[in-house]
Amino acid sequence: MIKLRVIFLATVLCAAGSLSLLVSPLPAQQPSDRAHQIGGKFMCMCGCNQVLSQCNHVGCTVSTSMLKEVDQALARGDSEDAITQAFVQEFGTKVYAEPPYSGFSLVAWSMPAVYLAVGLVLVLFVISRWRKRPTHAVNTAAAANNHGISPEMLERARLRAARETQD
Amino acid sequence: MDVFGSFALLLAFVCAVYAFIGGIAAIRTRHPLLVKSTRQAGLATCGLIFLATLSLEYLFFSDNFSVAYVVAHSNRSLSPFYKVAALWSGQEGSLLFWSFLLAVYVFSALIAYRNKNGELMPYVGVVLAGVQIFFLTLNNFVASPFKALGVAGANGAMDLVARGDGNGLNPLLQYPEMVIHPPNLYSGYTGFTIPFAFALGALLARYPGEKWIHLTRKWTMIAWGFQTAGILLGAHWAYAVLGWGGYWAWDPVENASLLPWLTGTAFLHSVMMQEKRGMMKVWNVWLVFCTFLLCILGTFLTRSGVVSSVHAFASSNIGNWFVGFIAIILLVCLTAYFKNRDYLKSENQLDSIVSRESSFLFNNLILLVSCIAVLSGTLFPVFSEWFTGDRISVGTPFFNKVNIPIGLLLLFLTGVGPLLAWRKTSLDSLKRNFGWPLLMGLIAGVIAFPLGVREFYSLICLILCVFVASTITMEFYRGAKVIRARSGASFLASAVDLTMRNTRRYGGYIVHMGMVFIFIGIAGTAFNKDVQKEMQIGSSMQIGPYSLLLQNFDTKQEKNYTAERMIIEVTRNNKPVMMLYPERRIFPANQASGTMVAIYSTLKQDLYVVYAGQSPDTQAPVIHVYLNPLVKCIWFGGVVVVLGTLVALLPNRRAVLVLSAVQEPTRVKSLAGTLTPSPTLREGHD
Repeated sequence: MIKLRVIFLATVLCAAGSLSLLVSPLPAQQPSDRAHQIGGKFMCMCGCNQVLSQCNHVGCTVSTSMLKEVDQALARGDSEDAITQAFVQEFGTKVYAEPPYSGFSLVAWSMPAVYLAVGLVLVLFVISRWRKRPTHAVNTAAAANNHGISPEMLERARLRAARETQD
Repeated sequence: MDVFGSFALLLAFVCAVYAFIGGIAAIRTRHPLLVKSTRQAGLATCGLIFLATLSLEYLFFSDNFSVAYVVAHSNRSLSPFYKVAALWSGQEGSLLFWSFLLAVYVFSALIAYRNKNGELMPYVGVVLAGVQIFFLTLNNFVASPFKALGVAGANGAMDLVARGDGNGLNPLLQYPEMVIHPPNLYSGYTGFTIPFAFALGALLARYPGEKWIHLTRKWTMIAWGFQTAGILLGAHWAYAVLGWGGYWAWDPVENASLLPWLTGTAFLHSVMMQEKRGMMKVWNVWLVFCTFLLCILGTFLTRSGVVSSVHAFASSNIGNWFVGFIAIILLVCLTAYFKNRDYLKSENQLDSIVSRESSFLFNNLILLVSCIAVLSGTLFPVFSEWFTGDRISVGTPFFNKVNIPIGLLLLFLTGVGPLLAWRKTSLDSLKRNFGWPLLMGLIAGVIAFPLGVREFYSLICLILCVFVASTITMEFYRGAKVIRARSGASFLASAVDLTMRNTRRYGGYIVHMGMVFIFIGIAGTAFNKDVQKEMQIGSSMQIGPYSLLLQNFDTKQEKNYTAERMIIEVTRNNKPVMMLYPERRIFPANQASGTMVAIYSTLKQDLYVVYAGQSPDTQAPVIHVYLNPLVKCIWFGGVVVVLGTLVALLPNRRAVLVLSAVQEPTRVKSLAGTLTPSPTLREGHD
């Protein structure tokens, strides 16, 4: 038990060490570059399929001009929404880095939750059905009989699997 | 040699057709000679594909610029290393490479089981031949890599020509990892054909028991291991070459590689339910079917141009072929399933909701939800265009928002699942197994929070990582302690002994530990920083603890490219750390350019420096610097995952004990009268 505690202590220390490595020297994020930040919400229209603020193609004039547009709009005092509308008018809805929270795009946002909910209902349904099933021995023999193989062969294969997946 | 290659491919197609049709006839007639000849035809198909692939490589190495594919993807000054990689750098060659890797698997399977599983192998052979026919059709009639270079003559006919030099290889591919990343990924994609063929073959043949699972487990693990390595190598390539400071951008091609990996992972877990308890038979068969279908779907997405991607091959009408193939596979799978679904009835009941069985169900649910979410996100631009007429992009922010919570749930289950007992887990067992790991996780969270880890998902991720690492450590500790008490060996030797006694279980734990490292690395992403600056010689910039001074820049002339190189001195607290040389390479053969990132990597963080080109206004060099914490954990985790997979593939050290354990005279006697033993289950496996 003492050794177990020592191992746990070591694990905690390692974790704490890695956390301190992670955190200590990094200064806080600098949200000063507003254009760069807003650029994270759009795709670069050069066809690279990258987020605007991440497009790094050497000599990519599209991302440069798009970010410049953002800067100019900010200098005029335009809001983020106004900048978004201007880009959508200019490039269409493909300029969004993520679907907007409106209209047909809501389908994209809601689908993962729907999948999870439907999957959860299915799993719970399967569990409830499995809990009502008859016992193991009867079924194993029946299954073996159905397939025309010897139960001891089936059992041997199962025992091997059981050993390989034992607790 | 191009004619030889073409002829070999054509002959391979003929042999595959014979293996397919002859195989069906052999199943119906059970004529031994027909069975043997179709197997030989299968082997011959593979041999001919090997020859065709070698021919194409020969054309690259001999600089034969009368072949269109060689002209498009190679040039004289290309190094031999990359001439190997040129094989899979374009549409036609990569399809041949796919056929080649598939042939390696098919050849290995046909040889490995040449005298075994006589009832099942003809079915498997037919399925494999069917898949080979599809790819050989593409290789021969749709995208042949052996097409001669031609120009339209004066009379309208095509005249064959030969160029003095080729266009060269895409600069993005001229990086060492591109020589090993695609073969790994393709080996993963093609490797899933074997479990698919066995699953479909067993279903068609109504093959008894879980033998197809035992037969294919190692094949699946090999394919999964390659897929994992391929994905991680691709991520490392993107990190080191593309120069945007990250390793995963949720690009459609990246997503395409992740989809079969997710279902393959689900299969590797749920398969234990069938082996151990005879449950989830339908689910497992469909998981294998879906994994294979997703491999083909991924290939379709990459090659059809239906979704835009920086990695994708040029769009072409080849996508229609893949749609047709997917439809045929789906039809065959559905028909086989509905015809033989009674064969897949589960045999056992679930004793408790708090059990290993339930954890596998939830694990599969989470993996499948993730898979479908990634797939629907990838295809959403296409759907949105169909329904609204506007193409709405789905980029990294969407996938991160959707998949981070799913990934954390999965990480939680990674810790919980192995600690739950089969059938039923008692409250005492829950307390005993979860108490310490949960406490460790919470302590880690309490330490991390005041240290500044306040980004919600990162904090949760780190708590869960410590929790999972603790559960795995505890499992090893408990088992090794028992062995140590019996043998008196050292703790480390006992842990190794423990692992070798049940390689599958403990190899699995090593894989889980690797995933923990990967998650730690991903959690670090929340703390990434970057700075971009136009620099003059002698100017400097600061990021985190590092100061970067642009000492000079020069031009470097190499055989295949010219590099503009920045010479940057990195210091920390005024002490020199190292010199970094980020480059921009210009390839004269195809007038393309690419970046070569310079990285100073430590366990703690990566200093990642990109020469982003010259400012269009001032012509001054623009340097983009990133400080990415804990990235090394991801690559280290990947190595651990692959190591764990290799361990799980090893045979158990004391397997003989299993056989003796079941030879109980009373049991054999009581059952012997009811059924005749079948030779099929006596044949060795694993």
